[in-house]
Amino acid sequence: MIKTIFLLTIIFSTTYPQDGIAIAKMVDERKAPQDIVSKTTMLLTNSKGKTRTSTILSKSINNGSKQILWFLNPADDKGVAFLKIEHDDKADEMRMWLPAFKKVRRISSSKKGDSFMGSDLSFEDMTSRTLEENKYKRLEDDTVDGKECFVLEVVPNAEIKSTYSKHITWVEKETLIAIKEESYDLGGNLRKKKMFLFESLSGYNVISNIFVEDIQKNHSTKLTMGDIKVDSGLDESLFQEKNLKRLPRN
Amino acid sequence: MRNRYIFLILTCKILFGQLSIAGSLKPTGMFRISDQSQMDLPFRLAELNLGYTMSDFDFMLNSAVEYRWGEKKPAFDPREAYAVWFPNWGEVKIGKQIHAWGVADGNNPTDNLNAYDYYFMFLPGTDRKIGSLSAAMIIYWDDWQLEGVIIPNHTPNRMPFNEPDFPFQISEPSKSDATDETLPYEKIEDPMEYGLRLKTTLGETDIGISYFDGRDRSFSLLGIDTFNIIKIDPKIGYRATSVFGLNMVTFIDDITIRAEVGYFITENDFQESWFQFFSTEAEYVQHVIQCEYRTVRSSTIGAQLIGNHVLNAVGQTVDLVTMDSTTLNADNFIPGMGTPFAMISDRSLSIVGSETFFDENLELNYNVLVNLEEKGHMTGFSAKYSVMDNLFIEGSVSYFKGDDNPENRFKQLEDFSHFQLQLAYSF
Repeated sequence: MIKTIFLLTIIFSTTYPQDGIAIAKMVDERKAPQDIVSKTTMLLTNSKGKTRTSTILSKSINNGSKQILWFLNPADDKGVAFLKIEHDDKADEMRMWLPAFKKVRRISSSKKGDSFMGSDLSFEDMTSRTLEENKYKRLEDDTVDGKECFVLEVVPNAEIKSTYSKHITWVEKETLIAIKEESYDLGGNLRKKKMFLFESLSGYNVISNIFVEDIQKNHSTKLTMGDIKVDSGLDESLFQEKNLKRLPRN
Repeated sequence: MRNRYIFLILTCKILFGQLSIAGSLKPTGMFRISDQSQMDLPFRLAELNLGYTMSDFDFMLNSAVEYRWGEKKPAFDPREAYAVWFPNWGEVKIGKQIHAWGVADGNNPTDNLNAYDYYFMFLPGTDRKIGSLSAAMIIYWDDWQLEGVIIPNHTPNRMPFNEPDFPFQISEPSKSDATDETLPYEKIEDPMEYGLRLKTTLGETDIGISYFDGRDRSFSLLGIDTFNIIKIDPKIGYRATSVFGLNMVTFIDDITIRAEVGYFITENDFQESWFQFFSTEAEYVQHVIQCEYRTVRSSTIGAQLIGNHVLNAVGQTVDLVTMDSTTLNADNFIPGMGTPFAMISDRSLSIVGSETFFDENLELNYNVLVNLEEKGHMTGFSAKYSVMDNLFIEGSVSYFKGDDNPENRFKQLEDFSHFQLQLAYSF
């Protein structure tokens, strides 16, 4: 009997780690594609229910550390393109191609809280989180839409100058993917609620839908990823300034 | 047989290329603030941009229809028509095209490859420029970019001569006293122009240097025809000018700094023994320093210091009214190249800002340009509302104020104070 209890304890302690950092590490080490291509529809809805739709073609590699995207719709945004390159040892690079000016404009990456193209996603929301840049605390487990979840409190370290004081993240136990998140502003007030839907593709779980609700502005953004391709062999050379100027072929 | 295969391959490639079509319709009206009379200046009623992508090649055609309410006669303007090849190492572009150098917004002393269309000088970006036949190549290597541009023929600024509604009254310069015919501009023996630019990123700073060798975009008095001793005709043309440029973009906390400086060397290199061509040499510097800040509300505030400094100018010129010979100096020298706003004032401060409301359906922009050399300012305000996707209504006001001196540039602009209404549909 005592041996059985001991054995079960060992099994459960290795299968279900006890602390937040271990869970975060498992999430971070989850199998991810080398590159992702998707055509995203971004639907913005204001407090009066009025909507605005944009279509974006996005290509990224290395878990989003390099990303390039082009606006395909609406017509007055068509051709606007955006390049992001994350660095470990220096500030991220962000460049924007403005067809009306025929210039590649370097923009500041320090204003992480700035809205991305009028959406409820900020530049910080679009940047991948590094394990070492946050502190993790496991909260009481919860269920979301019938799915058993770990619940993590994620507190950004002071040096990264986050625009959030913390995130509460629901991580599905079976797949180790985040399916829900609540983000709090620097005053500790709830700022955004995010829901993530995933689909299985070529052995990966890739995001297919993101819903972000800005509680304070009473505004929401829905991103629907379509035509998703993974591991298509994107070359690093794609993520260069010159490719901003050219809409990729469909 | 081989030719058939080549034809088949080319046909398949063409058929499997990708065509993109974009454009806009923008009926616009301009009205004087003083008496609400309509100002009869041309505007771009429609634009059509076609792009065809085939493998590593793009073919671009950007055109516009110019229209005047007074004439009611549209004029088609093929603004750009060029091909681009995108090899792994960079870009090669050939055709009639508009280039864009410089890092600041709206005022770029180092951006001299294209002439300006002064009818549209208050428009942003490439809208104010004239395309020119040229070849350009850009090489990308890590963080480095090297660009070379060759322009076979000189293109001058499009000047609004004898336009009563234009803020500055510009008479056609070359009128023969003897025949009253319009005299041609002096022929340029070697009209080829070229430019080189090198850019890189060092840490968080983008740095670039450039060089351009060409001709002034605005005409100057080059000499007088003294062959006819009874009637003296002016010789008008474009001086030889070189520009050394330096620009930088960097970030200090939440502030973005964009700076640009151009050092110009100009001379009148026309020589003919029986005409009197003035010996003219001058050096001048133009600079723009821009700081911008995005607020917590994601609105933008920017300030720009614009300067034009004539370092030295030597030579002779003639007052065409009195026909008196005058010594050229730093005070009476007029640059023929550079940012157009440096022509209005030698030192000015521009402050711009923008804010959006109603989920970016309403965009408000304001700008103030203050002459730091003498009294005078321009204040502008615009509101752009999105009626629905791709359809906007925009209203704007531009107000100029100088002092009582009739030579004051902003005083001369006061009658140009206007409001503008535009309906814009993009497709």
